[in-house]
Amino acid sequence: MTRARVLTAARDLFDEVGYEETTIRMVAERAGVAVGSVFTTFAGKAELLSQVMADRVEALQAELERLAPHLRGPTVDRLRSVMAVHYGFETRRLRLFVAYVACSFTWPADGAVTPIGRNHRFRGMLIDVLRGGVERGDVRKDVDVDLFIDTLLATYVWNYRRAAQDGADAAALIAAMDRQIGLLFDGVGATP
Amino acid sequence: MTYSTNPARTVFERVHSALPHGLAGEVVAAEPHARPLTRRALAKQRTRRLLLDAAKRLFNERGYEAATVRDIAAAAGLSTGAVFASFVDKADLFGAVIMDDFEALATHLAGADHADATTEASLLRLFSAVFAFQRDHLPLVRAAIGHSWLGHPEAEARMRTGVARILALIDDVLRTGVARGELSSDLDLRLVNEMIWESFLANYRHAIFEACDAEALAARLAAQVRILLAGWMAAAA
Repeated sequence: MTRARVLTAARDLFDEVGYEETTIRMVAERAGVAVGSVFTTFAGKAELLSQVMADRVEALQAELERLAPHLRGPTVDRLRSVMAVHYGFETRRLRLFVAYVACSFTWPADGAVTPIGRNHRFRGMLIDVLRGGVERGDVRKDVDVDLFIDTLLATYVWNYRRAAQDGADAAALIAAMDRQIGLLFDGVGATP
Repeated sequence: MTYSTNPARTVFERVHSALPHGLAGEVVAAEPHARPLTRRALAKQRTRRLLLDAAKRLFNERGYEAATVRDIAAAAGLSTGAVFASFVDKADLFGAVIMDDFEALATHLAGADHADATTEASLLRLFSAVFAFQRDHLPLVRAAIGHSWLGHPEAEARMRTGVARILALIDDVLRTGVARGELSSDLDLRLVNEMIWESFLANYRHAIFEACDAEALAARLAAQVRILLAGWMAAAA
């Protein structure tokens, strides 16, 4: 299917040569389709990137669903496990993810593109873990779920700079996130 | 409660002395022995100012990609040659606009003391001052943050310089909180400073969607700071 080939080509090019450096012509060539046919489905490069990342959320969701039955212990550790899967997944295509973060600061709120943190499926996974914690009694009942998730995501995203600029690997990012989640739980943790 | 820090030193002085020498040099505006500028140097300075102002306006209105050197030069009433006489390329011009804005922000912050009764209130005042200063050019700030993610080394170095000042101000507030017994002395200041900073930056993305004004942005950030500090508020004296 043309659409799938175009998205794969876009994903690979954004990751291999960079988002700024990639043109629609390059994507069309890689996908083996005409430039015009790319434009019938996608208004431009931004929409391509947005869809590539939305598809990746689905793939990530599948990995997390495999993990879900095996999550054990305190909510703080379940959340650490979930975020570890995120880092393992995204660091496989680091340059792609970094381009997505960069664009997320400038994309408009017009619904044609979905910046990072605004995907409901993505947030939903984290909200489930946190709400489960409230039910299990080790997260405070008065926790502002959305604000907590936003605070967590702010730090989650920023850790990728360590990989992009300092060459840190997934293990280093996971270790940093473990400490940061610890600090967050100092504030919202409860004793069951 | 007593304050163990010397209240006579302003926040700006504390930041100034905390910064490494090279960075402090950029903060101080006047050179120790300034010669009067030649006409040529004055003209170059004027050109640079015209270009920076036009570039700031166009980058803010159109974003980094869509703003062209040609359009910026035209908006400044100058030729593209004039742009390249002062700047290597568009990225260099953008970086200069951002540094210029950081300088202006630093001056704005230095003019007011943000110390307040509590750590949260002090941070709220600090971030309110930042957001208020930026309210007429939030798209430019977002473009700068986005641009810094794409790894242009000179842009990255400039961001670090500008950012260092604000981090030092946050650090100052946190240390004051520990010194007056409001925050536990076991608190990992560097960790919480980083996370406050990261929430601060993420709010620029959030602002796109929530039509936030400066006060709303600052209040939201204050609520996030509350989460970050909640576990470390020392027991009331």
